[in-house]
Amino acid sequence: MAKAEYTVLGTSIPRMGGVERVTGAGIFGIDLMLQDALCGGILRSQYAHAKIVSIDTSEAKAIAGVHAVVTAADAPDVRYGRTYIDRYMLAKHKARYMGDPVAAVAADSQAIVKQALKKIKVVYESLPVVLDPEETMKPSAPTLHDDMPLPANLPKDANVKNVCSYTGVHVGDPEKAMAEADVVVDEVYETKMIHPQYLEPRIAAARLEVDGRLTVWANAQAPFSVRTDVARLLNLPLNKVRVLTTEIGGGFGGKASGITSGAAIEPICALLAMKTKRAVMIVLDKAEETISTTIRSGARMYIKTGVKKDGTIVARQGKVVFDAGAYSGFGAMAGARCTQMLGGWYLMPNVRIDGYVVYTNKQVCGPVRGPGGPQAAFAVESHMDSIAAKLNMDPVDFRLKNTPKAGDKIIGVAKLRDVSLGETIRMAAEKIGWGKIKLEKNQGIGIATGSWIEGSGPGGGAIVKVNEDGSATVHIGKVDFGTAPRFGIPMIVAEELGIPVEDVTVTNVDTDASPWDAGTVGSRSMLVSGNATRLAAIDARNQLLRMAARQLEASPDDLEIKDRQIRVKGTPAKALALAVVATAAHNEIGEVIGRGYFDSKAMAEEEKERGSSQPFTTHACIVEVDTNTGNVKILKYVAVHDVGFVIHPKAVEGQIEGATAMSIGQALCEQVLFDEKGKTLNPTFVDYLMPTLNMIPKIETVLIKGYPGAGPYGTKGAGEIGCVPPPPAIANAIYNAVGVRIRQLPLSPENVLRAIREKKKSAS
Amino acid sequence: MSLEISLTVNGKQHRASIDPSSSLLDFLRDTLGYKGVKICCNTGECGACTILFNGKPVNSCVVLAPDAAGAQILTVEGLAEGDKLHPVQQAFIDTGAVQCGYCTPGFIISVKALLDRSKNPTEEEIEEAVSGNICRCTGYAKIVEAIEIAAQRMEGKG
Repeated sequence: MAKAEYTVLGTSIPRMGGVERVTGAGIFGIDLMLQDALCGGILRSQYAHAKIVSIDTSEAKAIAGVHAVVTAADAPDVRYGRTYIDRYMLAKHKARYMGDPVAAVAADSQAIVKQALKKIKVVYESLPVVLDPEETMKPSAPTLHDDMPLPANLPKDANVKNVCSYTGVHVGDPEKAMAEADVVVDEVYETKMIHPQYLEPRIAAARLEVDGRLTVWANAQAPFSVRTDVARLLNLPLNKVRVLTTEIGGGFGGKASGITSGAAIEPICALLAMKTKRAVMIVLDKAEETISTTIRSGARMYIKTGVKKDGTIVARQGKVVFDAGAYSGFGAMAGARCTQMLGGWYLMPNVRIDGYVVYTNKQVCGPVRGPGGPQAAFAVESHMDSIAAKLNMDPVDFRLKNTPKAGDKIIGVAKLRDVSLGETIRMAAEKIGWGKIKLEKNQGIGIATGSWIEGSGPGGGAIVKVNEDGSATVHIGKVDFGTAPRFGIPMIVAEELGIPVEDVTVTNVDTDASPWDAGTVGSRSMLVSGNATRLAAIDARNQLLRMAARQLEASPDDLEIKDRQIRVKGTPAKALALAVVATAAHNEIGEVIGRGYFDSKAMAEEEKERGSSQPFTTHACIVEVDTNTGNVKILKYVAVHDVGFVIHPKAVEGQIEGATAMSIGQALCEQVLFDEKGKTLNPTFVDYLMPTLNMIPKIETVLIKGYPGAGPYGTKGAGEIGCVPPPPAIANAIYNAVGVRIRQLPLSPENVLRAIREKKKSAS
Repeated sequence: MSLEISLTVNGKQHRASIDPSSSLLDFLRDTLGYKGVKICCNTGECGACTILFNGKPVNSCVVLAPDAAGAQILTVEGLAEGDKLHPVQQAFIDTGAVQCGYCTPGFIISVKALLDRSKNPTEEEIEEAVSGNICRCTGYAKIVEAIEIAAQRMEGKG
């Protein structure tokens, strides 16, 4: 669809909620001020794996100003979890990572909380610690969860333990095809644990109300899942729990604890509020977050590919060992995605990949920005270059040779509709100057592609209320942290209702009033809430036009809304003020309330029939490697993305640039490090390196048009896919620059220098 | 133990009693209510709590509150004149440099300090000025654009 069809869509309006953010208003979770609230704090396990023999809270309770000290014994004997119900809100019997919550305190001040936490006496009996999932899955490893069964779908000959999820990808006859291949390349890749490191710390606040209901405030990405967890763990019906979201200072999947059922602080805060009958607020310290909250897991990936001399891929075999952490959390979903993506997004006729998601004594895997994607892409796209090198083929030509076209299938997508992959590759190659640009010594050029599936997951609703003055208030279940809710969503309502965008307000989530939603995750804000909002706005418009039609003695089809008026098309003098019609609704239908619902089942059916249009991307870069220090400097970076129709260009570019920068961080410097006892070695920002402006090049973002997706007007999700290609694009450029293939992230000075030295050693 | 200090924040004189071991960040946020000064790393690494201290940008989390006795402090709350935003604030909105907005106050203060000392900052000066501020959302591209536009507008060119 051409942009000219629309009034608002396709323009970059100022972000709603911008003024309060640039003036420093206290709108975030951490700014929350509840009257007479107690401070809450959590005692975390000092062992990565231990039996909890006893907990003595008497000394802590005796401290003046302490109002409650709670342990698992104070909560209902209920567990939660997503794949497996394998976790208590406060560890019971066993602690499984250094950071596992064991007890919690509510007191008059933060200082008293700290004092009380120190006085809780926990007797632990230490157990063997396992940190490497490949070790943990051996039959000889200690058992991390005594009562969790192995997945029912495990291959019969697997002979493993501590596996909480298995994904098998099977297509054709990979063994036969591999045997018939001209060239076989077999490699092992590995990525490390990354923390999302959103800047605003996680908070939770809870208050027991006079009517016995519980109000919970959270800077959470999945407020309805928070409600589910709190209600479940405290044995409350859902109507007795109300979750209100604050403004949120970054999340990237790390604040989606409800979805993960991992590291949730809201139920603990709620328990303290129930015990004290007071408002309680917990604020996590940054170091506490790094050791305790959900993360992007590391993965070890075995990848073997058979190709014909002409570059046609004929088979892939592989194995993924994916770190779930101490509890199942989001591990199964992220691990399954990683396993599927190890099959690539090219034509792949014969495949077998086994994906094991394995418990370890580390914090829990969460749905961090493109969960599983960057890990798989690092292996797949580095491997593509290794194969091209062996074939003596140009990496761009090799990729184009295996690019699918409309009607083809790729792993995880039964039928493709519009395939932009080839166009993104060609565009990225052109923009970076592939084959043309002259490189200096120790400079290299690299390219990598990516894909992302935003389709799976439940639907969600939207409500558009038209107020008496003609303005609109929108309720969706997704939260705003710089994504669609206050960029594109109000634009959709403005477009469909014919009102100025400043007449539209999108509210924060209140689980008492907002439509249910699975959470602001999975690049799905536009897909779910965008589609639902569009339908809700159309519903509201139809209600208005029907009422106006009677008064104007015209057919609703002949009416339009413009300049806050409902008028007969072509006869602007025949008009009613929108406010008059909206007010008259009080006597006719009560109120104009448009409802919309994104039907994910209907989308799946349609895609089954017509095929689906995945987002594809190609990134390309030029790097310079300092062979004395191992430092990698990115000189030029191009990110080409097909995101379908673009509602708000700056917002979409911002998502891509942000995801790219975060992933450049994973590529070049980020990792959570552990000692052999499972203690995090770099919990603070002093040691956990993240990119500042000096590390991030000017990212040239190119949006490819013409491949409509499943979102409203043909949009596609854009929040995560930018994370997929950066690590391999940079690794490929390093290989091109200095001839070393580094198969383990990060591509830090230390690792790059080691690789260069090893290459020199083996050459001499 | 507590100590009484006076200081000026955003042109307003304050006199308050403080715990001498508290940080200037906690004092500004919790005692005086300047919530625009954001808490994050508490180790002087992320820049979310950046303020102007006698005209110089500092991380208020690593300054002891008593050291601010008699100081002139500017926080992000002190930039706009009534409803009229400072050009740096306006540029951050106009360019899409505000995603979640949590790092924004700290960035805006760092940028104000930059443009106070350099009217047409070079790429290197911009990089140096905000290298102590972490943004996890934007990838910095739109922030750099905001800085350039703010500089132009303040020079009457935008």
